[in-house]
Amino acid sequence: MKRQLAYFLVIFIGFITLFGHFINYSPLNNFIDNDATQWFDIISGFAAFLGVINLLQLHLNKISNKKNDWRYSIITLFGFLVMIIFGFIYNGSDVAMGPHLKNEGSAFYWMFQNIYLPLGATMFALLAFFVASASYRAFKIRNFEASLLLVSGVFLMIGRVPVGQLIPWWMSAEIYVFLIFALIAGKFNERKQMLVSLFISMIFVPLIILYFNLTDLALFKITDLQEWIMDVPATAGSRAIMIGIALGTIAQSYRIITGREKSILGD
Amino acid sequence: MRKSIKYIFLPLTIILFYFLFPYPLFLLGNETTFIFVIILCFVVEYFIEKAKNGDEIYMRPIAAIKAMEEAVGRSTEMGKPVLYVPGISSLDQIDTISGLTILGHVAGMTAEYEASLHVPVCVPIVMETAKETCKEAYLKKGRPDLYRKDMVHYVTDDQFAYAAGVNGIMLRDKPAAVFFQGKFYAESLILAETGNSIGAIQIAGTGSSSQIPFFVTACDYTLIGEEFYAASAYLSGSPEMLGSIKGQDYVKLGCMILIIVVFISSLFHSYGYIDFDISNMFRINILK
Repeated sequence: MKRQLAYFLVIFIGFITLFGHFINYSPLNNFIDNDATQWFDIISGFAAFLGVINLLQLHLNKISNKKNDWRYSIITLFGFLVMIIFGFIYNGSDVAMGPHLKNEGSAFYWMFQNIYLPLGATMFALLAFFVASASYRAFKIRNFEASLLLVSGVFLMIGRVPVGQLIPWWMSAEIYVFLIFALIAGKFNERKQMLVSLFISMIFVPLIILYFNLTDLALFKITDLQEWIMDVPATAGSRAIMIGIALGTIAQSYRIITGREKSILGD
Repeated sequence: MRKSIKYIFLPLTIILFYFLFPYPLFLLGNETTFIFVIILCFVVEYFIEKAKNGDEIYMRPIAAIKAMEEAVGRSTEMGKPVLYVPGISSLDQIDTISGLTILGHVAGMTAEYEASLHVPVCVPIVMETAKETCKEAYLKKGRPDLYRKDMVHYVTDDQFAYAAGVNGIMLRDKPAAVFFQGKFYAESLILAETGNSIGAIQIAGTGSSSQIPFFVTACDYTLIGEEFYAASAYLSGSPEMLGSIKGQDYVKLGCMILIIVVFISSLFHSYGYIDFDISNMFRINILK
């Protein structure tokens, strides 16, 4: 019975929300735009207490049973209690409790500005290192796709920085030569042969471009090229994914509101 | 005949009704969405019906979904836990709901293989739902004894604090399999790279198109776009669920054909061969 009620609620609210998106009936539109979202916020608010209780239970249990790494739980609980004290009990400023959360003189504000925000910023800053390590793995030449990624990655990185605008046409041509040789390096039997071919290409490719007067081609302006990569192939790829996501979202929602997708309730 | 009434005349009647009695009965501005939602729902319903009647539905193998069971099996063999991260969004996001439906299947696998499951959660309401999902999955597999209350637990609501918490869990517990299934933002790469550094087999799935490249780079398998939404249906293996994916694929094929038609037609229009600009049909307010 409990489960049937849950299915009924899912189906009922699902269809009401869908109809509210198309039917012009103000009580219905008001319900899905305001009431339903407020109900959701209220339920989420109560669930926050459950979250806090769960956090306390978990860490107190860890400490009392001296489970693995229980010392970290002390730090978690300490941080939790300190913020509770500065938020609800000790103010530290002249303003009343409540508004003190946004008052510069309060202890809570100081903790938020000087501990919480720097810690968050530190985690965010770590992203730079993770991007570097992920890029290294992604740009390694393993197959054709990885090579394409490397080529577009190089152009994007150069084109997005100010120095990219200063790169002359001949240097762009040399970058192309290097990239092509990076792709075909495995085809050469001897290293010396490859280096000689590279050297000859580095001299003759710019000369050929100059001879045919192709120096003004957008291909040799890295900033234009990176813009084209972002506007055309990258946008096309991301739009294809977006269309798939949109179709998947509608189909998944349809499965849920028609009561076919029951995994969320454990079925 | 009854089928054609149900799947051709009924949607056409609804669409006609919509356009014959527009405002004030229907809201203005959602015409294109309405047509596509109706078409998609009826096509999906048609294939569900077809699958129910016993028609064979072929699904192309999706490596990431096939690898899920392998990942849980690997964790069991290594005696290490399975870590499941359902994203950082609440239940108002379809990605989170999809993540939780996949969690139901993964929890079923861990119950079957007797592997330990660990689900750190960012939003309390998601925690409650995830708890219920895991509990039911263990019960369904006949192993309620293996379900632990602390299997699903709350970490924090803050994005980077959550990332730090999950990273800590990964580095301390060294799970053999890590699942990232849900809505992710900037923390995706932090989590995936940490999982990669501990040598865990990682399977990601998200509808956040901006995070897909990060997961593709750092994870072993990634469910891209609609694969993520189809995963639960695929894992269930029930004909009607598979039928719904088939229907979705046919609509996608229709979209591809439409894109080609629009492209060619726009090309002719821009060179002055035809006067009709087809792209006008896709403006949001086609009635205005």
